[in-house]
Amino acid sequence: MASLKELKERIGSVISTRQVTSAMKMVSAAKLRKAQQLILRARPYSDELNLFLNSLASRNRRQLHPLLHEIDDDEVKNVGLIVVTADKGLCGAFNMNIIKRAEEYFQDHKDKNIDLICVGKKVFDYFRRLNMEIEAFYVELFNKLEFEHSRDIMHLVTDKFVSKKYDKVLIVYNEFKSAIQQNIVLKQLLPIIGLKEDTKDKLAAYLFEPSAEEVLDELIKEHLDVQIWRVLLESSSAEQGARMVAMDAATDNADEMINDLTLEYHHLRQSKITTEIIEVCSGAEGLQ
Amino acid sequence: MANNSQLLHLKIVTPKGIFIEDDVSELVAPGKDGDFGVLIGHTPFISSVRPGILKIYRNEKPDLYSLMNGFVMVDVDKVRIFTEIIERPEDIDQNRAERAKERAEKRLQEKKEDTDLRRAEAALKRSIARIQLSEEGFH
Repeated sequence: MASLKELKERIGSVISTRQVTSAMKMVSAAKLRKAQQLILRARPYSDELNLFLNSLASRNRRQLHPLLHEIDDDEVKNVGLIVVTADKGLCGAFNMNIIKRAEEYFQDHKDKNIDLICVGKKVFDYFRRLNMEIEAFYVELFNKLEFEHSRDIMHLVTDKFVSKKYDKVLIVYNEFKSAIQQNIVLKQLLPIIGLKEDTKDKLAAYLFEPSAEEVLDELIKEHLDVQIWRVLLESSSAEQGARMVAMDAATDNADEMINDLTLEYHHLRQSKITTEIIEVCSGAEGLQ
Repeated sequence: MANNSQLLHLKIVTPKGIFIEDDVSELVAPGKDGDFGVLIGHTPFISSVRPGILKIYRNEKPDLYSLMNGFVMVDVDKVRIFTEIIERPEDIDQNRAERAKERAEKRLQEKKEDTDLRRAEAALKRSIARIQLSEEGFH
């Protein structure tokens, strides 16, 4: 059995761990609120841009933009796979779920040549340890998300796609469902799918500068950029949610442990006092 | 005092929210093919933007902002600007912009094999727009 002093030290260390986890929980809650606000604020921008894009892309159906060219699944040989995790741990199975999903994809598509693009320190460290070839990586960005990050990723994949090095670009990430729930999502980024046909051509009255083709080209890239930006925001919200839940559970566990240890400490102290009293009494009796 | 029918309704939308929504008398934007001014009654048109200075006239003296990229959508009585990054003069860290400019220039000069020239060029243009804004913006 542990001594009184050991128990006391143990309790002290659990208390300080509890302080850390409960502080982290509160920090995550605050960060989650911020990240959610960013998602909401991005909405009008991407909605308006989409309207604009649908109308312009429908107009130019005859000469399809290279980023909209779809090819048959059988012909897909080279895939760019973007894997998005967090930079930090302590958020439950958040990172591992994504890594597992990516590995599943590797297993299921052994016939294809898959290039790995890592976003977030956790996935980068994981695949580097396995000595996997990593095409590109972006780490330590979730602390302060900037448009430069999404723009860099967008340029990388569009260049490779246009030069036919990739036939397809996919992204796997945690979608923010609610503070306590994340969905693992594997989404196709390129070629761009899901544009709505817009027969009315709302932009018929407009002139374009430098030209409709150039504006469309930039618009498509902007659209892709916003999609990646939203994925980064989703992942960052989901991460904070996951960390909040993990830290809440850790705080509860610490509370339970403190209770158990305190009880044990009191037991031990009481029995020690009892023994001492008995010793004193029997000592006094011996003197009489 | 200009009356209200003489004013353009300007809305600048960014992914971080609506940056400005206001009635203005005139604006000058850095179009891809050169700067253009917009007054009320302009022909509807859409232009993409290069990194540069956006001037907004609410009165005699214009307010200056730096734009990095995006689109300007002009209607007869309103203008919408979609952009990822727009900055006020007070947002600009001139030293940082100078350093970015030097870095980009160096990268362009060295022309190493792994240098992404287009990215370096874009970075150079961005830093020039920022420096220009921080020099002119407060006048």
